[in-house]
Amino acid sequence: MTRARVLAIGASVLATAVAPWLIGEGAQRFVSEVLLMLAMAQMWNLLAGYAGLVSMGQQVFVGLGAYCLFFASMSLNVAPYWVLPLAPLVCALVAAVIALFLFRLREAYFAIGMWVFSEIVSLLISKSEWLGGERGMGLRTARLVGARWLEPVTFWLSVAIAAGAVVGTYLLMKSRVGLGLMTVRDNDLAATSIGVDVWRNRFIAFVISAAGTGLAGAVSFSATLYVAPGFAFDPNWVVAMMFIVLMGGIGTLEGPILGTIIYFALREIVTVVFKLSGSWYLVGLGAVAMAAMLYAPAGLWPMVRDRLGIEWLSVRRHPPARTQDVAPIESQVSARA
Amino acid sequence: MIWVETIVNGILFGGLYGLLGVGLALIVGVMRVVNIAHGEFMVLSAFLGVSLAGLLPGLHPLALLVPVVLISFGLGYVLQAVIINRIVTRPDPFAAILLTFGLAVAMRNLMLEGYGADPRTLTAGTLAQASVRVAGLSIGVLPLLTLGVAVVLFVALQLVVTRTQFGRIMRATADNRDVVRLMGVNPARVYNVVMGLSLALASVAGVLLAIRSSFTAYSGVERLLTAFEVVVLGGLGSFWGAMVGGILLGIVQLVGLKFDPNAGPLYAHLLFFVGVLLRPNGLFGART
Repeated sequence: MTRARVLAIGASVLATAVAPWLIGEGAQRFVSEVLLMLAMAQMWNLLAGYAGLVSMGQQVFVGLGAYCLFFASMSLNVAPYWVLPLAPLVCALVAAVIALFLFRLREAYFAIGMWVFSEIVSLLISKSEWLGGERGMGLRTARLVGARWLEPVTFWLSVAIAAGAVVGTYLLMKSRVGLGLMTVRDNDLAATSIGVDVWRNRFIAFVISAAGTGLAGAVSFSATLYVAPGFAFDPNWVVAMMFIVLMGGIGTLEGPILGTIIYFALREIVTVVFKLSGSWYLVGLGAVAMAAMLYAPAGLWPMVRDRLGIEWLSVRRHPPARTQDVAPIESQVSARA
Repeated sequence: MIWVETIVNGILFGGLYGLLGVGLALIVGVMRVVNIAHGEFMVLSAFLGVSLAGLLPGLHPLALLVPVVLISFGLGYVLQAVIINRIVTRPDPFAAILLTFGLAVAMRNLMLEGYGADPRTLTAGTLAQASVRVAGLSIGVLPLLTLGVAVVLFVALQLVVTRTQFGRIMRATADNRDVVRLMGVNPARVYNVVMGLSLALASVAGVLLAIRSSFTAYSGVERLLTAFEVVVLGGLGSFWGAMVGGILLGIVQLVGLKFDPNAGPLYAHLLFFVGVLLRPNGLFGART
């Protein structure tokens, strides 16, 4: 690791640590929201862009993560952040079980099968009075954190989760599993024929994605102190993830970052500047997503990258440089002649 | 006796579910596209019914079906010609899903802006309450009529697909879109008609469902999921499979609601999951 990189990381950590004292509560809340959305989008990108699994039911992990946190915190009567690791753990477990039979469905059928699964979980929770039923429940244990610390802790967690999602996906893609996933995405027949285990690689990506989404969902709802099935399992979560990934650039790590900036910029422009309702904003999102799919299916990042000629978080692999101890074939031939 | 009645009603209701799915089964079979906005188009046809009923107050709600079906066919034709044909040949299997997902989000929120969030129904006058007694069972005339419409449409579709020139062209296009070009067929135009038919069938189901129970701008999601479950349970692209799948879902849903009144579509969803677990290729799709 170069000295510049160590300095940059150190400065970011320091800036994050002191930020809550420099910016107001509203700004902290907004930044947290943006970063958690980025994490969720990156997890969806891991599935759709690298593992070739489009899921329209990822909101199930947002909701499950949130309910895990609320239920564990309330029943153990401890501050929500102590039980936070439970959220990704339970989501990973649920994903591992559900994958066993949802992986039998291909492409569009997997996408909608996940959606049906999300509806089932949402309906079951709506019927469970011990989880507050349709009315949902509040996070009373939040007072154990203290009002002074609630916003800063959420802020720090959001920064950590977003950074973890980006860096984690980067490292995963650099690993053997990532290489396997990308070969499957590019040509599944060729990948299987050289011995890549498609099912296993997809399974790993699916479980990691579920855990990350659950973690982000849990922190997101712990900041609002209230969860209900209608919000937790709202299909608009996946609409946002999909929009961000498609706009920014599916199958690139930088794409979701760019997409998140566009998503929130559009939202602020439509709802704050033009004072239009949230549903007009969603109409716009749907229309922009359609246009993106028609005219720029690769998203914006590849265009920006090619224009500027930068590769920032690229996981592209370069073939090893030709070494000198093996002479090129032509010279061998000419030496013999 | 109450259970027999529930099951009979489930079968009648299931015909409607079959109809819900068959439009989707049609495009899946012919162009291997899943239209995520399928449910939204059903809701749109119901809203069209509401608007037309306001414009033409004397008209019987079932007569509304005629203009609604024609408009839906046109919408489907134009949608396919202008938008979906651009991406249908892309090798990326997700292009169509993501495109129609964007369309669904835009349509849902436009309908929310245009018609509001309140639940609406289409009233069918005295027909809604009318019932006949058969062998001691009380059976609603409207559900009976619904099943009748569904069966007629199924038979008609089957005849079109197996017996007509257009049906042959459609099946050939489904088999190989490049080879039919050599025979002078324009696959894009076949797709336009197929999408028109798909949305026309969806609009019949959409209007009949709206007569049966209230709907909102958000009902499209549930409609789509039901249609999708019907298609997967019945076996992809199989019309009669869709009918049987629909009837199974109808029975399970009504029986489920009988002993658990606030379950909503929970038991239908669970049946779908068990179905996928036991028979991933659907009830009638065992060939592949």
